[in-house]
Amino acid sequence: MHNSRFTLKAIAVTVLTVLSALFIFSGIAFAQLNVATNQSRIEIDAFYHGSSIKISGDTDPGTDVIMKITSPEGESKLREKGKVGVFWMNTRELKFEHVPNLYLLYSTRNIKDIITKEEADKYVVGYPAMEKYISIAPIREDREKSRWFKEFVKFKEASGLYGISSGRISTTKNGGEELYNTTIDWPFQAPPGKYMVTVYEVKHGKVIGKTEASISVKRDGFVKATGNMANKNGALYGVLSITIALIVGFGISLVFKKA
Amino acid sequence: MFLYLPVALTSVNTMIILGVGLSIGLLSGLFGVGGGFLITPILMMLGIPPTVAAASGANQMVAASASGTYTHWKLGHVDFKMGAYLLIGSFIGGIFGVYAIAVLKALGNADFIIKLTYVLIPLTVGGYMMAEALQSMRKARMGENAEAPKKESGFKKSLKSLPFQTDFPKSGVRHSALLPVILGILVGILAAIMGVGGGFIMVPIMLYLLDMPILVVIGTSLFQILFTVIEVTFLSAYTNHTVDFTLALIMLIGSSVGAQLGTMLSKKLDAEQLKILLAFLILAVGIKILSELTLSPSIRLAL
Repeated sequence: MHNSRFTLKAIAVTVLTVLSALFIFSGIAFAQLNVATNQSRIEIDAFYHGSSIKISGDTDPGTDVIMKITSPEGESKLREKGKVGVFWMNTRELKFEHVPNLYLLYSTRNIKDIITKEEADKYVVGYPAMEKYISIAPIREDREKSRWFKEFVKFKEASGLYGISSGRISTTKNGGEELYNTTIDWPFQAPPGKYMVTVYEVKHGKVIGKTEASISVKRDGFVKATGNMANKNGALYGVLSITIALIVGFGISLVFKKA
Repeated sequence: MFLYLPVALTSVNTMIILGVGLSIGLLSGLFGVGGGFLITPILMMLGIPPTVAAASGANQMVAASASGTYTHWKLGHVDFKMGAYLLIGSFIGGIFGVYAIAVLKALGNADFIIKLTYVLIPLTVGGYMMAEALQSMRKARMGENAEAPKKESGFKKSLKSLPFQTDFPKSGVRHSALLPVILGILVGILAAIMGVGGGFIMVPIMLYLLDMPILVVIGTSLFQILFTVIEVTFLSAYTNHTVDFTLALIMLIGSSVGAQLGTMLSKKLDAEQLKILLAFLILAVGIKILSELTLSPSIRLAL
């Protein structure tokens, strides 16, 4: 009886010790990695043309940093351009699933040199990993998926919503600590919504730390009022648009008549 | 200076949009066309979604056609009677056009037929106008009287036997009231199928089938376009929420001024010069569409 109580006590002490050791060690491994942005809210006003965001934080010396900026996953329907007779035209519809509308990747060095394929796939870092992660329908074989994924990336890069910038994160040593920082050109094409900044700390090809921050893009003032009216009060918006156009049109012809 | 477009959700360079508006306005004041076939592709190149491009293009055309119609009316170039008959026709034609699209879709490869009309109509219309204008210039140079009454074709003679013959004093012609209504229906059907206002089909029809003088053609065409674009703007704003008024406002300031300049220029040029320029414009549009359709696209996906 006495013996068994002693055993129970010993187990409890061991478990507690192991747990606290794990907690402390994990603290050593991850505590230093953090992220801060100089603005977490981007307001779209009438003169908005994208923004410039400074993102920085602490990391462990001797590690690489990969930063992924994405919007929530969704589906995207695009028309395939195919040749019908002699004409190129939009043919069937392709559905891309589990794709973010925005996908920007920044890193301290070339991504292939920093992270192993397996780790990249696990965290969906880079286009090859994304290609495996998403699905495209309707397609018959992997080669076709690969071909349309490449076209999808081309389409997104052309509209400024996808991009991979290797070597754009710089690091500076500060005593025993290391600071990383980068300035990203936030694309004006990114629509209002919530975006996620994920920072990965990578050592020997493996992700050893991960932290997140969010950026929200919101319409403000005139842009918000006009957008809301167009969507919620279409009839009034249409009548106003027509009336103002008529006034300007007749007004300018009167100005020219006098001149 | 950049402005953010609340509905298109993208940012544009104001100067470029103003320039696009000015050019479109110039063309409409000069030739009486709406320019929808030019605005939509240009705006799409600037990153604006196609539906927003088309609807906002129609919105800015309200101002350009109001500006042009007013000035052409003051100059005595608007045949309201003819315009009204054509409008009734194109309104009915528009309804038929929507059904025509549904029938084409049911038959399959509707897109192919639509694309084919995009190429064939400007090339035939522009080619015919070019040939006709060159022929009358050659006659004028050889000393023949270009103004001599042309021999009436059997087709035109048969039009004279239609009922409800009436005078159109402004255009100086006499036609059956049915003629502009029927032609309006045809243009309305084609315009609905092609998704354009149809000015570049209507103008040659008024010139060659209704024998109207070119300045009255331009003024009357603008008068009709005014009604069409008001209708398109309202329906797009009400049902699809695709009108971006910020975009339209920048464009329409440019296009109202452009329409005035175009109207002034149209008075300076003689009828043959105007016809040749318009033929060039329509042919150029046909060739542009043809090359777009036959050259390999750089990106094989589209919205």
